[in-house]
Amino acid sequence: MSFEQEYGTVAIFLIVGAALYAVIMLVNRVMRPSVPSPLKLTTYECGVEAVGSGWSQMNIRYYVFAFLFVIFDVEAIFLFPWAVIIGELDATTTPSSLFALIAMFLFIATLLEGLAYAWKKGVLTWD
Amino acid sequence: MAIDWFAIAPEIALTVTALLVLLADLNLRGDAKQLVNPLAAFGTVVAIVFTVLLWGEERTTFGTSFVVNEYAVVFKLLFLGSLLAILGISWRFFAEGRYFQGEYYFLLLTAFIGMLIMPSARDLLLLFVALETVSIPAFVMAGLRKRSLYSSEAALKFFLIGVLSVALMLFGISMVYGFTGTTDLAGIAAAISAAGDPEPLLLASVMLVIVGFGFKISAVPFHFWAPDTYAGAPLPVAAMLAVASKAAGFAGLIAIAFIAFEPLAEVWAPVLGVLAILTMTLGNLVALQQRDLIRLLAYSSVAQAGYMLIPFGLARSGADGAVVNEAAVQAVLFYLVAYAVMNIGAFGVAIAVNRRTGLRSIADYAGLSARSPLLAMALTVFLLSLGGAPPTVGLWAKFAIVQAALTDVTPFGVVLMVFLVFNSVIAFFYYLKVVKTMWMDEARELDVQLQPGFNLSTVVAVLMIGTVVLGVLPGLISGATSLTSLVAAG
Repeated sequence: MSFEQEYGTVAIFLIVGAALYAVIMLVNRVMRPSVPSPLKLTTYECGVEAVGSGWSQMNIRYYVFAFLFVIFDVEAIFLFPWAVIIGELDATTTPSSLFALIAMFLFIATLLEGLAYAWKKGVLTWD
Repeated sequence: MAIDWFAIAPEIALTVTALLVLLADLNLRGDAKQLVNPLAAFGTVVAIVFTVLLWGEERTTFGTSFVVNEYAVVFKLLFLGSLLAILGISWRFFAEGRYFQGEYYFLLLTAFIGMLIMPSARDLLLLFVALETVSIPAFVMAGLRKRSLYSSEAALKFFLIGVLSVALMLFGISMVYGFTGTTDLAGIAAAISAAGDPEPLLLASVMLVIVGFGFKISAVPFHFWAPDTYAGAPLPVAAMLAVASKAAGFAGLIAIAFIAFEPLAEVWAPVLGVLAILTMTLGNLVALQQRDLIRLLAYSSVAQAGYMLIPFGLARSGADGAVVNEAAVQAVLFYLVAYAVMNIGAFGVAIAVNRRTGLRSIADYAGLSARSPLLAMALTVFLLSLGGAPPTVGLWAKFAIVQAALTDVTPFGVVLMVFLVFNSVIAFFYYLKVVKTMWMDEARELDVQLQPGFNLSTVVAVLMIGTVVLGVLPGLISGATSLTSLVAAG
């Protein structure tokens, strides 16, 4: 396709798009009955009205939960490939199955210490 | 793939210590919490023993990505020595300041695990992980005085600039991998020399990778965080950032510059040389204006990073550059050891004065010679050494850089030396101004007794004696640094 053809496609697309919008809005304006009421100017005609500004502060405790979640989410990512491999290992392979088992439990224990730390510091209680 | 446990024993020792410190902190109450400090120090000593046992070994593990040789061991001893000194100057500061002690020592140890990995890493990804392991605890430590706005500002600036430069570096790493098809440092060098004329985009990505380390060593376009972070962070953390974290940045920069991008030395050497000139000149000129001792030390540490970048400007590629490169790496290593001794000492004295009185402006050091002659003597020695006066180790550190420039005299090398000399003169002005304030100016009335405490006094005394002894017998360091060759023979 030549340069003009490629951009011609874009131009046609723009024209058709604009025309479609114009036609729909025009038909809408011609067909609809005009019954204005103040309710129609509200943000949501049904649903909960927004209260306060969009810059309201979140409770900081959500941050700690999100943090703990991410840590154990990442742990799961490491667990999956390990779980796939460990079935094929035995005492004769390098690394041996026992080694792989101990290694993974050391990893989990390290993360568990983090959880114990968070628990003891009281970040897991809500009030 | 078998793992060489002995090669990573220092790192394992520090990791176990860090986990024990966190557990101990959970189970200790009140004043007993300060016992985590000796526990951390004990773990550090164990790591030092393992590192000393590794001296003279050539070990490679995790494929080829982790190498222990004499070069790495010298760096590891430098880090562990700094850790011991920082633990010494931290004890009273954190025990009396009602800080989060367990968290601080845990984060400190974690940062040092990253540093221990840095000089051994021979893979871009491992280098990146090591750099992040140093940086992330440091962000938190800078904000440890969480009720102080200055500390929060320090942490935020450090974090934003740190994340930005690390993102640029990661972008560079991804492109380098795209060009060479490997993350192994030696493999990258082989791929670059095999490819012939380098593409401009490859050169751009090399520069991006250098940016990440430029942030860590606070070289000039990336130095904005340093003064504010040093001034706002707790003082022992500032000492850690100024010395150990900077040395870790240099360890990484040496590895990527002299191993991975060695074939491109003709491109990055002039860039780093110009950065060296900018860094030392700007650091020294701004330091002239400082009234706060910590900010003065911060700008002086920016200037010192400039001196340490000079040998990078001398580097050359190919077989005929090998001698120059070897000399350049040794000069940087020598300078780093000397810098660690004198700069931790200077921060130690600043902590001793600041902890009881809260004073930090240079004018407040007036009359320190009368109140505490030994502290004043120590600070004088450290500042003279930072300036490079005989008979201190600072003189030989500068001498090592000049020696590296003399192995093969080039016009650019001569320009660098001229800037080194001019900057040394500028630096003496502000170092001596502090010395003059301490010994000659009229003291203001102060009824607070300085109580440095046993640990801090010991650390400062050892570092002061070290500064002078190494100034008389520089062979004690250079004997070790000249043995070290960068690339593992095996």
